Amino acid sequence: MVNINATLIAQVINFLFLVFVLAKYAYKPLAKMMEERRNKIASDLESAEKARTDAEAIQKEYADKLAAARQEAAAIIEEARRTAQAAQDKAVADTRAEQESIIAAAKAAIASDKKAAMDDVRNQAVELAIAAAGKIIGQKLGTDEDKKMAGEIVDSLMSK
Amino acid sequence: MGNEAAAAAAEAEHAKEIIHYLAQDVAPGVTIHMQTMYMTWISMIILILLFIFASKNAKLIPSGLQNVMEFFVEFIEGQVSGSLGEKGRKAMLSFFVSLFMFILVSNELGMLPQVGVHWTSPTNDINTCFALSLTVAIGVYVVGVATNGISHFKHFISPSAAFLPLHLLDEFTKPLTMALRLFGNILAGEILLIVLYQLAPWIVPELWVMFSLFIGFLQAFIFTMLSLGSFEKIYVHH
Repeated sequence: MVNINATLIAQVINFLFLVFVLAKYAYKPLAKMMEERRNKIASDLESAEKARTDAEAIQKEYADKLAAARQEAAAIIEEARRTAQAAQDKAVADTRAEQESIIAAAKAAIASDKKAAMDDVRNQAVELAIAAAGKIIGQKLGTDEDKKMAGEIVDSLMSK
Repeated sequence: MGNEAAAAAAEAEHAKEIIHYLAQDVAPGVTIHMQTMYMTWISMIILILLFIFASKNAKLIPSGLQNVMEFFVEFIEGQVSGSLGEKGRKAMLSFFVSLFMFILVSNELGMLPQVGVHWTSPTNDINTCFALSLTVAIGVYVVGVATNGISHFKHFISPSAAFLPLHLLDEFTKPLTMALRLFGNILAGEILLIVLYQLAPWIVPELWVMFSLFIGFLQAFIFTMLSLGSFEKIYVHH
C-alpha cells in the first residue's frame, strides 16, 4: 500500500501544471474582479467618508449661521428695547420739565398778580387813609411825609 | 512457473485490497499508479472548470459559483496575507489557492459513492502527498533564493548557530510529517468508509461520509497552513 515510485514525479508535474493553468487562465480573471471590487469598495468608502465630512461641514456652517443670526436678532431686540426705553425716559422727563415750567410760570403769574393786587390795595388804602385822615383833621394832607406815615400804618395793619 | 506463482500471488493481493492503485509499468522500472493519475486528472479538470466557469462573466457583485469560489479564494487570501504579508500575498496567493483547492477537491473525491467508478482520493496515495509536501519544501528554497538571494539560508542559523541541527532536522521532518498526516487521514477515511458499507450499508456510512467531508476540508486547511508556515521565513524576518 505504501509504494513510492514514479507516481511521485508525475504528481509533482501534475500539480505544477495545475498551479500554472489556474494562475494563468482560471484564477486571474477572478482575482482581477476581486481586486476591482476591493478598489471600488475602498473608493466608495472614501467618497462616503468625504460626503459625510462635507455634510458635517455644511451642518456646522448652518449651525454657526443660525447662532449668528440669533445673536444678531437678540442684539437688534436689545437695541430696540434700549431705544424705546430712552424715548420713554425722555418723554417722561420732558413732560415733567414742561409740567414744572408751566407750574412755575403759573405760580409766578399768580404771585405777580397777587403782588400787583396787594400793591393796588395798599395804594388805595393809603390814599383812603390819607383822605379819611384829612377829612377828620380838616386839612389837606398829601405830602410825601404823610404818604410814608400812612403807608407804614397800612403795612402794619395788612401784615396782621 | 515462478512467474505464474508471483502473478497468482499478486492477483490474490489485489483481490484482498479494497483500495486499488492500478500499478502499471509504463516503462521498464517505471511504475505509475494509474488510479491516482486518473483521479488527479479528474480533480484537476473539476478545479479548472470550476475556476473557468466562476471567472467567466465575473461580475462586480458576485453570485452563484463566482461567489462560492471567491469565498474559498478570500478564505485562503486571509490566511496568506496574515502569514506572509502584502508582498507574500501578491507572490504566493495563486499557489496557495491551487494547493488548498486541489487537496480539498482530491480529499472529497474519494467520498463519492462507489457506483460504476472506483472513486478514490488522489491524496490516498503516499506519492501524491509526498509530491505536494516536497513541492512545498523545494518551493521554499526556490522562492526564498529568488526573493532574498543567498541570505535566504540565514534562517538556518537563527536565532543562533546552535539551532542549525534543529533547522536541518526540521527540513526533513516537515515534508515527511505533512505528507504522512494527509496520507494517513485520507486513506484511513476511505478504507473505513468501504468497510462500513460492508458492515452496515445504511445510515452509518453516510454519517461517516459527513465526518470525512469535514476531515477532508480540515486536512486541506492544515496542509495549507503548514505550507504557509514554511514560506513565512521568506517574507517575515524576525
